[in-house]
Amino acid sequence: MISRYTAEIGTATLTTGLGLAAVVGALEFGIGWGDAGPEPGAFPFYIGLLVVGASIGTLIQATVGRHGLHSVFLHKEEAKRVASFFLPILAFVVVARLLGLYVATALYLAFVMSVQGKYRLVISIASGIAAAVIFYFVLEVAFQVPLLKGPLEAALGLY
Amino acid sequence: MENFASLLHGFGVALTTYHVMLMMIGVLLGILVGVLPGLGAPNGVSLLLPLTFTMDPVAAIILLTSMYWGALFGGSTTSILFNIPGEPSSVATTFDGYPMARQGQATQALTLAFLSAGFGALVGVILITVLSTWVAKFALRFSSPEYFAVYFLAFASFIGLGAASPFKTIVSMGLGFAFAAVGMDTVSGGLRLTYGFNELLSGISFLIAVIGLFGIGELMLTMEEGLRFDGIRARVKIRDVFKTVATLPRYWVTLLRSSAVGCWMGITPGGPTAASFMSYGLAKRLSRRKEGFGRGEPEGVVAPETADHAAGSSAILPMLALGVPGSATAAVMMGGLMIWGLNPGPMLFVERPDFVWGLIASMYLGNIVAVLMVLATIPLFASILRIPFAIIGPVIVVVCFIGAYTVAGRPFDLWLALAFGGVGYLFKKLDYPIAPLVLAMVLGDKAEDAFRQSMIMSRGSLSIFWSNGLVATLMLIGLALAFGPLLSSTLGRLLKPKTSSAVA
Repeated sequence: MISRYTAEIGTATLTTGLGLAAVVGALEFGIGWGDAGPEPGAFPFYIGLLVVGASIGTLIQATVGRHGLHSVFLHKEEAKRVASFFLPILAFVVVARLLGLYVATALYLAFVMSVQGKYRLVISIASGIAAAVIFYFVLEVAFQVPLLKGPLEAALGLY
Repeated sequence: MENFASLLHGFGVALTTYHVMLMMIGVLLGILVGVLPGLGAPNGVSLLLPLTFTMDPVAAIILLTSMYWGALFGGSTTSILFNIPGEPSSVATTFDGYPMARQGQATQALTLAFLSAGFGALVGVILITVLSTWVAKFALRFSSPEYFAVYFLAFASFIGLGAASPFKTIVSMGLGFAFAAVGMDTVSGGLRLTYGFNELLSGISFLIAVIGLFGIGELMLTMEEGLRFDGIRARVKIRDVFKTVATLPRYWVTLLRSSAVGCWMGITPGGPTAASFMSYGLAKRLSRRKEGFGRGEPEGVVAPETADHAAGSSAILPMLALGVPGSATAAVMMGGLMIWGLNPGPMLFVERPDFVWGLIASMYLGNIVAVLMVLATIPLFASILRIPFAIIGPVIVVVCFIGAYTVAGRPFDLWLALAFGGVGYLFKKLDYPIAPLVLAMVLGDKAEDAFRQSMIMSRGSLSIFWSNGLVATLMLIGLALAFGPLLSSTLGRLLKPKTSSAVA
């Protein structure tokens, strides 16, 4: 169980970090006045400072108003549901990088349908493959947009 | 009159079989993304955009705007039938639309929603027809400092008018600008903020951000709530439709008031969501049947729907005439225009009148097509939501990632989309507004260029933003919008103890 207060602090810390990253990254390219007006780093530098400032503002607001933030941000049950949705997507992206988007699509759909949708394995696998084939025809044939491919497509001679 | 002639010319451009066909396809796709959870107007337009890169700009913008209309209609359908807003801007429609549907008045609620939405959109388009040339002519006087002031005004109004904490709005906006700065610097041509990653050399596309933030993030939120569709079977009966049409004039005050609210919120970047809530609130406060609101009062459907669509269509005006989009979807479309090599802003009216007026004419036609098609196809689309989420959810996920990949064909974008999805989920849960981030990503380079050119003009002095009446007025309005609410609440707090002690 995560409280709203923790979530607020965590997110504000994350945005502070991103703001600092912009500030540090901008310093590398000069933030002063160059031959052609302001140097490339100037704008990101001040934007970064703005983000850091506003994030600190959020941190202070959350700390001052922490009594009002005792509400639950994420229940165990909800966290489980989100994780059961998010983890397969993570796996999908990893597989897509290795085996291409079509194979990843078929595997991902088949997995979610059979494990979370409780469909019969045969139906799930067939649906996954069917979806991948439909995507292939819509994208590569109709719109001529190439997708990320892997070893399977190479073996089948599809480019 | 000049506008009227241009508009007629525009109809000549828009009224071809090919374009009308594109409108129908666009509207159908739009209703589809509007009905499906996790896919909304900004997201749908982002997903479709890469497929239009090879099309003629006029045809492409007709397809995209029609999709926008369709998505707005689809969003209201699920609000009424399932009590699930398909779009954030149709949340207010659930308040009275769903109760009406539960009382067996689904057809009435849907018809009223679509017709008032069509009315609102029409008012928005008429406003664009009348005002656009004037605004564009006015904007021809703008140079860099004025442009920066207009961008400043747009972002300031987010800070001041948004419902979220001003700090959160600034964080969201600032991150958008920072993401936009990654990659090539448009002024010096050098690379920056890549931190040694080759993947970041070509920058972060705003399309990836929209797909992640609106698509994956929204889906995660839907999953967390444990999606359950509790739909009401809708059979649209033709007789009921006509009966409802006859009752529409009864709501003329609400229609006009809501259109005005919608147009105002659409032109200023308040956006359709704020417009629909504001209009609902006003209707409730001013209605003679206050107690009926929330229990199936038809006026409670008319008000938010009219404002939603009026805002949605009038958001195109500042995008075309000034190059400052009034909503997240308009921002995505403007990004598309820039990718097609068009430069939104006053010069567009001079250089490509066929494009501008073809687009405006297509908005009239597109909305009529949309109202007719949505009435005809609602039972079909409502049945889509009866497909179990274990199938439809993953398919939406796959479509989002494929869309992310087609933007530039870079595998790294898949990771970016996933990361933006996580951020979108967190931001939505913690009430960080997402629209400013998208707007900042689209406008980032232009705002920075305007700022740097102004600095070059003034040799580094910020006083250029006060140098003439026009730019000073714009900056003043911006400052007033940004700090006005803060000042008034501080003043209120300072004055309050006195009054309470006086009472005591």
